Amino acid sequence: MASARFETRRLTSDAMFVVCAACTLLIVTLLLLVSGYLVWIGIGSIDLSFFRDVPTGDVATPGGMRHAIEGTVILLALAAAVGVPLGVAAGVYLSEYSHEWFFAGPLRFIADVLTGVPSIVVGILGYELFVVPVSRWTSNSVSFSGYAGAAALAFIMIPIVARTTEEMLRLVPKTYREGSLALGASKAQTVLRVVLPSAFGSISTGIMLALARVAGETAPLLFTALGSRLLTRDPSEPFPSLTLQIYTYATGPYPEQKKLAWAGILVLLALLFAVNLLIRVVAARHAATRLGKV
Amino acid sequence: MPATMTQPRPDIALRAPAAVPRGGPASAYPIIDAIKRGDTPTPRIHDSVHAESAILTVNNFELWYGQSKALHGITMPIAKDKVTALIGPSGCGKSTLLRSVNRLNDLIEGVRVQGSIDLHGTSVYARGVDVIDLRKRLGMVFQKPNPFPMSIFENVVYALRISGERNKKALADACEKALRQAALWDEVKDRLKASAMGLSGGQQQRLCIARAIVSEPEVLLLDEPCSALDPIATLRIEELIHEISSRYTVLIVTHNMQQAARVSDYTAFMYLGRLVEYGRTADIFQVPQLRETEDYVTGRFG
Amino acid sequence: MTTDARAIPSAPFSPNASGGRADSLRRSFRFGDAMLGLVCRGSAAVIAIMLGALVLVLLTSAMPAIKEFGFGFLVSSEWRVNELERPLKDAAGNVVVEDGEIVMETIKPAFGALPVIYGTAVSSLIALLIAVPLSFGAALFLVRVAPTLRMAGPLSFLIEFLAAIPSLAYGIWGLFVLAPFLQTHVGPAVKSALENVPGLRWMFYESVTIAGTVVERPIPITGRDMFCGSLVLAIMILPIVTSVSRDVLKAVPRTQIEGTLALGATWWQSCVAMLRYGRSGLFGAVMLGLARAAGETMAITMVIGNNNQINPSPFAPAQTMASLLANEFAEASEGLHQASLLYVALVLLVMSLLFNIIARRLVVGKASPAGH
Repeated sequence: MASARFETRRLTSDAMFVVCAACTLLIVTLLLLVSGYLVWIGIGSIDLSFFRDVPTGDVATPGGMRHAIEGTVILLALAAAVGVPLGVAAGVYLSEYSHEWFFAGPLRFIADVLTGVPSIVVGILGYELFVVPVSRWTSNSVSFSGYAGAAALAFIMIPIVARTTEEMLRLVPKTYREGSLALGASKAQTVLRVVLPSAFGSISTGIMLALARVAGETAPLLFTALGSRLLTRDPSEPFPSLTLQIYTYATGPYPEQKKLAWAGILVLLALLFAVNLLIRVVAARHAATRLGKV
Repeated sequence: MPATMTQPRPDIALRAPAAVPRGGPASAYPIIDAIKRGDTPTPRIHDSVHAESAILTVNNFELWYGQSKALHGITMPIAKDKVTALIGPSGCGKSTLLRSVNRLNDLIEGVRVQGSIDLHGTSVYARGVDVIDLRKRLGMVFQKPNPFPMSIFENVVYALRISGERNKKALADACEKALRQAALWDEVKDRLKASAMGLSGGQQQRLCIARAIVSEPEVLLLDEPCSALDPIATLRIEELIHEISSRYTVLIVTHNMQQAARVSDYTAFMYLGRLVEYGRTADIFQVPQLRETEDYVTGRFG
Repeated sequence: MTTDARAIPSAPFSPNASGGRADSLRRSFRFGDAMLGLVCRGSAAVIAIMLGALVLVLLTSAMPAIKEFGFGFLVSSEWRVNELERPLKDAAGNVVVEDGEIVMETIKPAFGALPVIYGTAVSSLIALLIAVPLSFGAALFLVRVAPTLRMAGPLSFLIEFLAAIPSLAYGIWGLFVLAPFLQTHVGPAVKSALENVPGLRWMFYESVTIAGTVVERPIPITGRDMFCGSLVLAIMILPIVTSVSRDVLKAVPRTQIEGTLALGATWWQSCVAMLRYGRSGLFGAVMLGLARAAGETMAITMVIGNNNQINPSPFAPAQTMASLLANEFAEASEGLHQASLLYVALVLLVMSLLFNIIARRLVVGKASPAGH
C-alpha cells in the first residue's frame, strides 16, 4: 500500500517537474514570439525615409517619423532636466538624512506609492495642471504643449530615480563616510566628494533605466503633448513623440501609416535594447574600476 | 546553602576540582570583582605618566549608549609626542574612548557624554566647539583600511582639498611628504593617479595613515590599525608608527598585547569601561602594580 | 550634568589655533551643509507635494460628479453623454399626447462606472488566472532547477528584459496579430464547438432591445474583446509576477528545502513546502501583477473593443477604466462628462494604490524588489 502511494507521489512529482519546465518554456517562448514578431515585421517596414522624412500629410505616402524621433528626444531631455536633479536630490535625502525618520520614513513610502500610479492618471493630472490653466491664461481653446508632456514624464521619473538613488547610496560602505568625517570634512563635502561619486555608476544606471521606461510611455502624453504631425522644436505647442505617432498611425485606417507604426515599434525596441546593453557595459566597467583594474 | 552540599559524596570526591583558595579564584582579582559589581575603583596611575607634558587630558569622562554606560569616570593624561596604547579585552571601551576624542561617536544615535576631554586645555565637548575644525586637527586610521574609491593622489590630499587648498604644487609636495612618512612613496610614486582600490591591504592601510597625517594633525588616533592585516604588513606599520612617533602624538587601540609592548611608550589597561592601570609600557609589562594587569598581559585571563 | 553629544552648536574651536583661511572656510562649509540640506529636503518635499497635488486635483475636478452621483456612481451602468429626448410615458406605459403632439421629456446626462469597474476587474482577474500558475511554475523552475543547468542567469535576464517592453508594443501586437487570429481561427472554432451546449448560449448571443422589442442576436466576433484583452494583459504581467515570485522563492532558506527532502519528500512536495513558506510574498507578487493589470492603458485600449457595457460573454467588446479614459477624455466636454471621467480616474487611482501598498507590505522583506 505504502509503495503504491509513494509511486503516485513520485509520478506526481515527475509530472509537476515537467509542468514547471513547460511553464518556463511557455513564458520565454511567448515573450520571444511577441518581441520576435515585432522585430521581424518592423524590419520589413523600415527604411531610411523613416529617419529622414517628416509626415507629408498624404496618407498614401506618409513620409517618415523624423519629427517624432526628435520630439521624443526633446521630451526626454526636458523631463530629465527636471526629473534627474529632483530625483537624485530626493534620493540623497532619503539616504543621508534618514535619521530624520519622522519625515524620511513617510517620504519613502510616498515615493513607493507614486511609482504605482497608472500612467494615464498621470496624464490626466498633467492635463489639469499644465494644460487647463495655461489655456485660461492665454485664452486659447486648449493649450497642449510639449512642456506639459515633459512634466508628466518627469512626474513618473522622479519617484523611480529617487528610490534607485537611495538604494545605491545605501550600498556605499559606512566606512567611507566615517573616514571622510574623521578627516574633518563637513557632511556636504562628504556627500558630494566621496559618497555620490562612489555611487555614480549605479545611479547613472538607474537614471538610464528610468529614461528608457518613460521613453516608451504613451498614456501620459495623450492629453498633455497631444502629438503633432509637424516637425517642431517648440515645446510650447502640441508636441510629437514616437509613441504618440505610433499609436495614432496604428489605430488609424491607412495601411501605409500602419507600416510606419511597425517601423516605429522596432526603433523603440532597439532603443530600449541599446540602453539595457549600455547599462550592463557601464556596470561591468565600473566594477572593474572599483577593483583597481582600470 | 543546603547542608547536603557542604559534604561532597565519597563517590564523586575524585571528580571534585583541585584544591582552590577559600572563596574561589575570583578573589585573586579584587579590582575586577569590584568592576563586575558595578563599582568604579580608583585606577592605578603610575607617577611616570605625570612627568610628561600632556597634550590631551581626559577628565572624569563618561559615555552612555542610550541606557547602557560604556565609559565610567575615565581620567588620564595623554603625553605629547609619545605613543600611548589602550589595551583590554573586547568591550572594555577602548575604541569608544578613542572615538570620543574626535567626537566620531556623535554620529551614533542616543550617545550621551559627561565630563570632558581637553585638547590644549579646552574640552572638545565644550559648548561652541566646531566639530569639523576639531577633526581636522586630529587624524584617525580605522581597523579596516578604507581608502576612498579615488586615485592614490586624491586620497592623500583629500584633507587638504576640503580645507580649500588648490595649489597644485602645494598638494603634490604635501602628498609626497605624507607618502614618504608613511613609507609608501617608493611603491606608488609612479602610479599616483591609479585607483587606490588596487593596492594590497597593507598598502591601503599605509595610504590611510598618509591620508591622516597629510595635514599634520596634533594627535593621531589609530583604532586597531593592524587587525585586518597579515603579519608582515603589521610589522611594517609598527615600524612606521615608531618612525612617526617623534613628530606626532599617537593614541593607539590594540587587542594585541605584544604589539602594545613593541610600539608604545605608555600603556593603559581598561576593563569594562573603567581605567584599571596606566603607566610606562616597560613598567606595565614587567612590573605592573596590579595583579589583574599582570595576569592580563601575560595572558592568564581576558 | 549630561549634555547630548550632538546638541552642541558649531562655532570656532579656539581663537588662536588656525586662523586665516580656516576661518573663512568655517563659514563656507556650514553654508555648504545648509545648502545641501535645503536642496535635498526641498526635493523630498516636492515628492510629498506631488502626491498631494495628485489627490487634490483629481478630487476637485471630479467633485461635480461626486456631488451629483455620490457612491451610486460605482454601481450605476448608465453612460449618457448627451441629453436624451424621448416620449414621455405615463404610469401605464402609454405615450402621453397633448394637443395632438407627443410630449417629450428630456433625460439629463448620467454616468456610472459599473461597466468599467466590471471590465477592469474581469480582465485583470482572468489575466491573473492565466498568468499566475504559469509564473509560479516558472519561478519554481528558475529557483530549483535552472541554477544546476547554469540557465538561471540568462533566463532571468531574458525575463527582466522582456519586462521592459513598453505597453504600446504589446498593444500593437495584440491589435495586429492576436486579435485577427482570435477572430478568424479561435472565435469561430469555439463558437461552433460550444454554441449549442445548454447554458452557454450567453457566450455567443446577446439580448438587445430594439424599438421596444427584445431581440436575440449573435455577438459579432471582432477579435477585440474581453478575451483578447485578458490574454494580452496576462502576457504583459508574466515577467513581473515571475521575477518577483522568483525573488521570493529564492529567499526561502535552504534549510527549509533540505528539511523536507530529508524527511523523504519528493521534488514536488518540497516545492509545495516552498510555496507555503513564501505564501505572503507570493501573494504580494500576485498583487503587483494585479496592480499592473488594472492600471494598464495602451495595450488594453487597443484590443478591448471600446464598448462601455457589461456583457458576460468573453467575446463581447468591453471597456476598462483606463481604456475609457484613453478613449473618451480627449473629446469630453467640460462639465459632468469630464467630471465623471475624473471620478473614474480617481477610482482607478485608489484601486491601484491599494493594490500596490498591499503588495509592498507583503513583498518587501521577503525578497529584494525585482523592480528597477
